[in-house]
Amino acid sequence: MTGAEASAGPARAVGGEASRLFIRQTSGLVRELGIPAATAISLASVAVVNTFINFNAGLTAFTKADMFLPLFAAAFIWLVAMFAYRYLLRAVPRAGGEYVYLSRVVSPAVGSVAGLGIAVVFTYVLSTNAHFAAQFTPFMLSGLGAAFHSAALANAAGSVTSDTAVFLISLLVMVVVALLSMASVRLVARVIISLIALQLLAFVVLIGVLAVHSRADFAAALAAYSHHPGAYQAIISAGRANGVAFGTSVASMIAIIPFMVLNYNGVLYSYYVGGELRRPGRTYLHASVISLVILVVLWGGVWALLRARIGLPFMQAQANLGAADPAAYGRITSLNSVAGGLGYGMILSSDPVTKILFATAVPLAEVAVNLAFVTVTTRVLFAQAFDRLLPVGVAKVGERNHAPNVAIAIVLIIGAGFCYLTSFVNLSNIVALQSLFFALILLAGGVAAIFLPFRRPELIAGSGMDEGDRATLLRRVTLVGAATTVLALFTVVEIIVHPSVYGRFSAESTITLLVVLGSGPVIYAIARAIRRQRNTIDLALAMHELPPE
Amino acid sequence: MPVFRQRKARALRIFFATDIHGSEVCFRKFLAAAKVYEPDVLLLGGDFAGKGLLPVLRRGPEWLARLDGQDLAVPAGEYDRLAADITRRGFYPVRMDRDRLAELEADPAALNALFREEIAAQARRWCELAAERLEPHVRCIITPGNDDPVDADPVFAADSRVEFPDCRVTDLGPVSMASLGFVPPTPWNTERECPEEEMAKRIDEMLGPLPAGAACILNFHCPPYGSGLDEAPELDSSLKPVLRGGRPSMVPVGSHAVREAIKRYQPVVGLHGHIHESRGVQKIGRTLCINPGSDYSSGVLRGAVVDLAGDGTCLDFLLTTG
Repeated sequence: MTGAEASAGPARAVGGEASRLFIRQTSGLVRELGIPAATAISLASVAVVNTFINFNAGLTAFTKADMFLPLFAAAFIWLVAMFAYRYLLRAVPRAGGEYVYLSRVVSPAVGSVAGLGIAVVFTYVLSTNAHFAAQFTPFMLSGLGAAFHSAALANAAGSVTSDTAVFLISLLVMVVVALLSMASVRLVARVIISLIALQLLAFVVLIGVLAVHSRADFAAALAAYSHHPGAYQAIISAGRANGVAFGTSVASMIAIIPFMVLNYNGVLYSYYVGGELRRPGRTYLHASVISLVILVVLWGGVWALLRARIGLPFMQAQANLGAADPAAYGRITSLNSVAGGLGYGMILSSDPVTKILFATAVPLAEVAVNLAFVTVTTRVLFAQAFDRLLPVGVAKVGERNHAPNVAIAIVLIIGAGFCYLTSFVNLSNIVALQSLFFALILLAGGVAAIFLPFRRPELIAGSGMDEGDRATLLRRVTLVGAATTVLALFTVVEIIVHPSVYGRFSAESTITLLVVLGSGPVIYAIARAIRRQRNTIDLALAMHELPPE
Repeated sequence: MPVFRQRKARALRIFFATDIHGSEVCFRKFLAAAKVYEPDVLLLGGDFAGKGLLPVLRRGPEWLARLDGQDLAVPAGEYDRLAADITRRGFYPVRMDRDRLAELEADPAALNALFREEIAAQARRWCELAAERLEPHVRCIITPGNDDPVDADPVFAADSRVEFPDCRVTDLGPVSMASLGFVPPTPWNTERECPEEEMAKRIDEMLGPLPAGAACILNFHCPPYGSGLDEAPELDSSLKPVLRGGRPSMVPVGSHAVREAIKRYQPVVGLHGHIHESRGVQKIGRTLCINPGSDYSSGVLRGAVVDLAGDGTCLDFLLTTG
């Protein structure tokens, strides 16, 4: 009865007739993260409100786009992957994610590909999130200006759009995240929970605002906001004139699925802190299911309301016109074309509290995402330093906060450097394959799960199981791993065949991807050779999971 | 020609784990470490005894037990499997009827005696398992910690495969190893506690007679005070963690006597446990102090591999998790 599989035998649940456990008085307490903290890390890694921007991006990138099928299909892909990661976490219950799974299950060299790659790319993501928060600062200031009837705040929105201002704001976000990250994981989780609660509240309020208004109300509100009596219809007409194709198409929706897979990216990330979870398999499963259900219900519900109240033709026209001909769009309205639902909510709401919620949702979401990503990234670095792949000092844990302070400092300093580059240098060619990398991470999880029953069956099927249960469990793990791999491959292929949306293969982007993926094994090979010559402990030993027998 | 300077050859490898608290999974992993890390010595440094005893009640043709908050029933013929599941979680399954259960609930002394019997029985099983699974050349050393009742001592001491050198010095070849399971007084008033002065006396009795300059290592369950390997949550009078600024206040709870001994005798390595959440490595003078920590409740064995050269110097170490 080490899990659902084992308890499928003769043991069955009964009423409260059995006796309690007797505990003798002994010393010791152990710190543990429970389901709320794990859920917070998962939800924060997703950035719940960013979906509006992603809806907009999907509408812009694909003609005749609709989000229902992509939303549910992507949720299904993550649901399948969730079980694959659950088996991996049960087998190797510790921090480090794909790095740890691949290094223990497949081989240390393969694990090192994921380890360093994840650390570098996630650190870059930190900077893009901070940069994103900076880019949304004008929207926030406009909203706050409207809420407080402050012309100064509204005017300030126009003065924080320069590269220098964006860099300074993104740096400020990184500093705030750094200071918060130095707290204990539990405290970080509490901060994240609070920020997520604000995002969820913004979502719920938005649902309420949309539900109590009609399409005519929205058209009137847009007209008033834009000082343009026919703004709603004008945007649709301008879109049509610009060649926007209205309606929906299945092919387009299938092509958007990777977009939505990336949109959910992070929803399972509590496995990265697997070593700090109480009853890892169970806590992870509950946290992931709760997070997935919340996201599907919220995102699906909001999309249904947006379609009903705002109208798909308007959203398609606004997204495409805003991207293709911003000047024409700007002549009709000053409403941010990428803010999506938050923008609609902002002009529909009449009370200041609602405006404040909508205005601050994105910057606060980015702080939450970065807190979660720092937690995740530092655990990956920690795991590698713990295995001696990186200097052992990186794994040093603070005595007071029990957090890997050196790893946190490294991630945030490099992240600040990326902030500078993102603000002043055009990195778009270099990081073009970032989406592909995230899909490859998912693929790595699926592959590790496929290998698990063949390479290390003893890690999931212990001696307490009879042969029948054991064979069933191993078969199930193989199937779940194979299903995850197939779905991840579908995502990878869709990303590759839509380079204009997900990133082109150019010399710069391909070399960057190869360097990111190849540096791990090179470092592993060098470090191992040095250790062998020095007669010190072999690196491969550090990456070997002890069998239970 | 090697690019990097070659160091001395390894003469002794120790795999050290501690605080497994009755976890059958962890003990089996401990034995499996002999194949994975190929140590010369397997060392289990204290607090091997479990903390929980689970009554398994008979009801007609079934056995009932409450596991992980769920009441389970298995057919009578499946008792062994149920017991194995309970044991893997580090609890002791005990078959009994409702009368015996009521007696245990009413009589703490009877419950305590039953715990001691079960711990001693587990010690016997573990000795048999070690004899069955370990190659003859691998030494298996088990020493007690403050949570281990003395009732298990004679079991280990009498066994021919396992060595049990508590409060004495053992020859490991390149180094001598001093072992001590006692700790300074804790709020739980456990089995092996003594004042700091007595700790110092016991340590001096072991280390004092060693020749000057002889390489030695310490296998002291309690970590040195203020080393960072002894940070535990501060507790109030009701044994609940004290919160300061919204998080548990951590305080050093190690031994001053152990710290003084390390400073005075400068052993090569200090192997410690006791404080599960203070996993880490610190240097005190020339001594490398290691607390591998413990995560036994998740079935995870945390350990440390330590390599020593022929002259007793420490070549390398590795914290492990498996």
